[in-house]
Amino acid sequence: MTKESRVSIYFFAPAAIFMLVFLFFPVAFLVRDSFFEIDMIAQGKGTFVGLSNYIEAIRSERFIDTTTNTLIYVVVAVGFELVLGLFFALLLNTAFKGHGIVRTIMLAPLMIAPLVTGLIWRFMLNNQFGIVNKLLYDFNITSSRDAIQWLSDERFALLSTIIADIWLTTPFMMLILLAGLQGISKTLYESADIDGANKIQTFLYVTLPSLFPVMIVAVLIRTVDAARTFDIVWVLTQGGPSNSSEVLSTYMYKTLTRYGQVGESSAMAVIFIILLLVISSYFLTAMFKANKK
Amino acid sequence: MSQPNAGISNENTLGRLFKKKKKTIIGLITTVLALLFISPYIYIVLTSIKPSSDAISPSPTFFPRELSLENYVKMFNQMPIAKYFFNSFITASISTILAVFLGALAAYGLSRFSSKTGNVFLLLTLCVRMVPMISIAIPMYIIINGMGLIDTRVALIVTYTAINVPFAIWLMIGFFNNIPKEFDEAARIDGCNILTAFIKVIIPVSLPGLATAAIFCFMLAWNDFLFALLLTSTNAKTATVGISEFLTAYNLDLGPMTAAAVSFSMPVMVFSILVQRYIVSGMTLGAVKE
Repeated sequence: MTKESRVSIYFFAPAAIFMLVFLFFPVAFLVRDSFFEIDMIAQGKGTFVGLSNYIEAIRSERFIDTTTNTLIYVVVAVGFELVLGLFFALLLNTAFKGHGIVRTIMLAPLMIAPLVTGLIWRFMLNNQFGIVNKLLYDFNITSSRDAIQWLSDERFALLSTIIADIWLTTPFMMLILLAGLQGISKTLYESADIDGANKIQTFLYVTLPSLFPVMIVAVLIRTVDAARTFDIVWVLTQGGPSNSSEVLSTYMYKTLTRYGQVGESSAMAVIFIILLLVISSYFLTAMFKANKK
Repeated sequence: MSQPNAGISNENTLGRLFKKKKKTIIGLITTVLALLFISPYIYIVLTSIKPSSDAISPSPTFFPRELSLENYVKMFNQMPIAKYFFNSFITASISTILAVFLGALAAYGLSRFSSKTGNVFLLLTLCVRMVPMISIAIPMYIIINGMGLIDTRVALIVTYTAINVPFAIWLMIGFFNNIPKEFDEAARIDGCNILTAFIKVIIPVSLPGLATAAIFCFMLAWNDFLFALLLTSTNAKTATVGISEFLTAYNLDLGPMTAAAVSFSMPVMVFSILVQRYIVSGMTLGAVKE
């Protein structure tokens, strides 16, 4: 070993040991547990059951429904965040007077805890005291004050959690895209101008392609985060009513704490990690391809 | 972004005037949309200073009809919320210091000295970012339980540090790579060894980077709900768990809940607006820079 690599190891050894004990070891533990039937009371004493936890998880209807809900949640939330974020980023990219202040205003939700976001929306979507239903009624959109039971109607519960997520993280999307927009070289726009491109053409053939790599990174980060959402869903609906807004993380939490099934919840977590790794490697390949061009 | 010169030139004055007007209109629209967008938060703040009965009125108004601190008083009376805030603050602060310290050391080693082990380690660190928190939470619960640390602050400090270290490493590597190697080389010539060069020269130069990493680590720990919910019950309970308890199935204390939500988020909000420069650079780093 060269002297250089030895010095490097000294520097990252403390962090590596810490991560080994409190991150990699738990993940290894998780994989092990997923093959065991574990009795919570007997403190980790388990019997090896092979793949039966996995088979049980995949075959259970509730797991399939929960996975579907998670997918809907991710696709709808991230989709809206991307469109809204891009819209705000384009507006803020215009150098009007006071755009710095407006940007700061827009950044505010970034600092709010997902838990608090859940509380805010739980308060506003409440069907007795909520302001959302009152406004819908005042503007004659709904016929009565409790026409929409946002959190207790199976048709709306998942949508309500998605609304809260969009509100919380559109500013994040906006910020990343704004930084991307400001990184686009001005000469590209000048040459588009010389070529006689109109606004829409410039947007389609200059702005969007230049922004593409940044968009992929932003969508990747948001996809991973939205897929593991817990706080918002827990506070708003706890996955109810009748599992209509259950997502993977709330279901795993319940499987562990309410039903005490360590083996099955571990198996679900492993499936979840594999799914996320597959999705993110797809995004990363797309990004490398885009960067090569 | 530079403002175009607003001075009057002889040609094209009309065109410029038109352009200026268009900008003002876009500015106005953007401002209105932005205010609408954050209105839910403003609404919660305004509700928290309404009398308790107005907070749960069947016909809510956006602005308070009268001001009252009733909700804040109730919040303190209903649960030991001060203790929960203290727990949040202690666990977030200590884990931040640990994570930034460990992360900075590791990032410096990885940024300045190349080694194969280091590269493998870096790749593993990136993979950890993909692991969903809930799946770490399951074995973490078993480990912490096995160590007899359930419901202690140590359990939370250790957990938050572990989650934050990979992030701190990735952020700090970006900063260290931007500091020229000549800096530490000069320090070495002046008689420093590697460690003292790092402490005396690199750390002071990279304070903005360390601050950015610290802000993000603190926010993650301060805002965490899942681990606190899973690993604590009474002694080490943090503010997020406490606040969530205003909403139980039988008791919907919406008024005090708004007060708690505002007390919890307002200091962080004000602080982050003051240091938003670092937050913006931290968030866009890696996503935009090549």
